[in-house]
Amino acid sequence: MHITSLVFCPSMPATIRLSVPGTLRYRDLAVRIVAEAARLVSCSVQRAPNDPLDHDVRDPFDTAVVSAFMEIFNNVAIHAYKRKGGGTIDIAITPKDREIVIEVKDHGSPFDIDEVPPLPNELDADTLPEGGMGIHIAKTMLDEVTYEPGPPNLWRLCKRLPGGARASTRV
Amino acid sequence: MPVPAFDVQRSSNSTTLTVRGSLDINTAPQLGEEIDRLVVDKPKLVIVDLSGLDLIDSSGVAALVKLYKGVRASGGNVTISGVRDQPLAIFKLLRMDKVFNL
Repeated sequence: MHITSLVFCPSMPATIRLSVPGTLRYRDLAVRIVAEAARLVSCSVQRAPNDPLDHDVRDPFDTAVVSAFMEIFNNVAIHAYKRKGGGTIDIAITPKDREIVIEVKDHGSPFDIDEVPPLPNELDADTLPEGGMGIHIAKTMLDEVTYEPGPPNLWRLCKRLPGGARASTRV
Repeated sequence: MPVPAFDVQRSSNSTTLTVRGSLDINTAPQLGEEIDRLVVDKPKLVIVDLSGLDLIDSSGVAALVKLYKGVRASGGNVTISGVRDQPLAIFKLLRMDKVFNL
C-alpha cells in the first residue's frame, strides 16, 4: 500500500522523541523524521510513489525546517562531538497546529555561537564563502533559534506557518 | 555512508558534472575528490547540472563554491543549471543565486 497524502493535521501538541548516536551516520534518519513532522504542520502533500525525488521538501515550510535542522545536526556532530561520537543527540519534535518546535540536545563540547562570522556584505566570485554558512542558514530559515551551552547543550528551533492558511497545493 | 550520485562527462568543449539526490556533509567529501581531479584538468567550461538535486546543505554548497573558484582560478568558467526547490532556496538565502546566475 502506498500512502500518497497525509490526512492527519494535529490539533493537540504531541512530542516525538528520537535519540541517536552523535555521529553523521544517523543524520539522514533524523532528517527524514523531521521532514515528516514538518509535513504534519504544513499539511504538504507527500510525494507520489513514482516521484523521482528522493527527499521531498518542496514546500517552503518543509524546506525551512529541514534545511535548518540539517545544519544544527551537522553542527552538533562536528563541533560538540568532534566527528567522533561518544554521546547521543536527543531530538524532541513538537508539531503544533501552526508551528513546529524542535529541541536538539547533546552532551558534547559547548559551541560558541558568537564566533560564527556573518556572510560578507557583498558577494562575488572572490568573496564566496566556503564555510561558516550553516548557522546563518538555520537563523534565516527559522523564526527562532536559541542555543544554551551546557552540558547538556540545547538548541531550540521554531518555525511558524506564515499568514493564514496551511501550506501546499501541490499534488 | 551514503554514496553521492554524480557523474562527469567530458567533451572537447566542456565538462558536465551532474549531481543527483542529496549533496550534504556525508556526500560532499566524495564529490570534493572528483572536483579536485576535475580542476586539475583546467577545463574551459564546466556545466553543473543540478536538475536532479533535491537536497543540499552548507557542506554541499561549499563543495560547489570550491569547484567554482578552482575552475575560474585556472581561467575557466562554471555554469550551474537546473537548480530548483530546496537547493534554490538555499542559494537565494546565501545570496549566491546572483553570483551563479541562477
